[in-house]
Amino acid sequence: MVTASFILLGVFLIIAETTFLQFFPHWLGRPDLVFILLVFVAYKFNWFRGLLLAFLLGWLMDVASGVFLGTYLLLSLLLFAIVKFLSQNSPVKDTACQIPLVGVSYFVVQCLFYLFFSMAQPGALPPWSWSRVLQETIILFVASLPCFVFLNWLYEKISHRHLAVRSMKRRTGNRFR
Amino acid sequence: MRNKTSDRKKTQGFVFFRLFLLFFLFVILVLILLGSTIGGRFGVFHQLSLEALGPAQSFFTQLSLSGARFKDKYIALWKVQEENEQLRLELDTYHALLDEYREAYSLNRYLQSELEFKKRENFPALMARVVGKDPSFWFQTLIVDRGSNDGVVVGMVARTSRGVVGQVVQVASNYSKILLANAPSSAIDAIVQKSRVRGILKGAGEEGYVLHYVLKNADVSVGDSIVTAGIGGVFPSGITLGTVSRVHSNRRGMFLEIEVKPAVDFARLESLFINLSEEQLIIDEMSRSSVSQGE
Repeated sequence: MVTASFILLGVFLIIAETTFLQFFPHWLGRPDLVFILLVFVAYKFNWFRGLLLAFLLGWLMDVASGVFLGTYLLLSLLLFAIVKFLSQNSPVKDTACQIPLVGVSYFVVQCLFYLFFSMAQPGALPPWSWSRVLQETIILFVASLPCFVFLNWLYEKISHRHLAVRSMKRRTGNRFR
Repeated sequence: MRNKTSDRKKTQGFVFFRLFLLFFLFVILVLILLGSTIGGRFGVFHQLSLEALGPAQSFFTQLSLSGARFKDKYIALWKVQEENEQLRLELDTYHALLDEYREAYSLNRYLQSELEFKKRENFPALMARVVGKDPSFWFQTLIVDRGSNDGVVVGMVARTSRGVVGQVVQVASNYSKILLANAPSSAIDAIVQKSRVRGILKGAGEEGYVLHYVLKNADVSVGDSIVTAGIGGVFPSGITLGTVSRVHSNRRGMFLEIEVKPAVDFARLESLFINLSEEQLIIDEMSRSSVSQGE
């Protein structure tokens, strides 16, 4: 139930990013909401469910954006794996470090992405722009705080509801034994 | 006693005399007035009467006018607030209608120009609506609502009345992805329309285009129009690509650095035409390349 809800949310975010969010002026910020969702998934979900979500979101991003198929898929799986690994085996699992990690990981991913393409497909990407990447990182960092609050609230809401339904079912079963 | 009786008689005589005098004066006045009326003449008495009546009339007229003004200014205002709210609502409605008409008008003008373009250019054009845009900074692609069911194949050229938009790179049954001409991986054979100098127009992302391989001694200046050269068969010759926005000559190297502003506003693209005439050409090309790969 939780995984399905987050898949639906991811689909909605991809549609939003490719359609109506495009009309917002760039200075106002068009943060990569799918990226924030992926990092949140890496913090909250277990390996199996997280990888499934990362796979689906990366695959859908490949369909909606870019030219070279598999780019986003690889990127989202790598991002999920690295953030998951860091959040399990380092002080990053502390809540205070989670938000800064979103900004840092976005910046690192952009650098790796550009490095990979400049080696694999030279001239396929526009020239590297520090101002652009830093601006996007700051916007993402600012946006990640309310997004994390919302995603956390949604996660707790759906999880509790799911648990409540399961416990009710169990209790009902015991009554007639 | 006798004195009292004589006083009463005197008083009665005086009253009688006064009444008689009054009656006499009245009769004379009536006679004078009647006399002045005869002949329809607006005489002295009429004039005097009017002079006496005028100020009174003026006073009452002013009074009634003041009353009317008071009614208009204050009493009528009791309903004005209600009327004002109603008028504001009406104004909002009309503003919304006006916005709709303006939008319809601009859409109509846009579609008219596209229709004229379709009639003018003799290629089987398939109109497609832009349904999605690439959110990333790194790639320049669009998703349109036409696919293989409509005859779209990979490699077809997308255009508008303003110029070249790009090329179809991925196709599904009902939707296709178009790589914009300003993508860094896109390269088009182009010429400077004025001097017929050839070069390769490469995409530079949001910066527009850069025209490569134009020699330093070539005649190129800001404002020159850049069009397709028609080499390679994908783009017909003479389609507008953009205008030169900056020409820079480095001390080193043989070529000029030429920046070109795209003719098409990629950020505001709502619809485009896909050139279906190239379907057979592209299919042949693809089959030829697959055969050569097999060998």
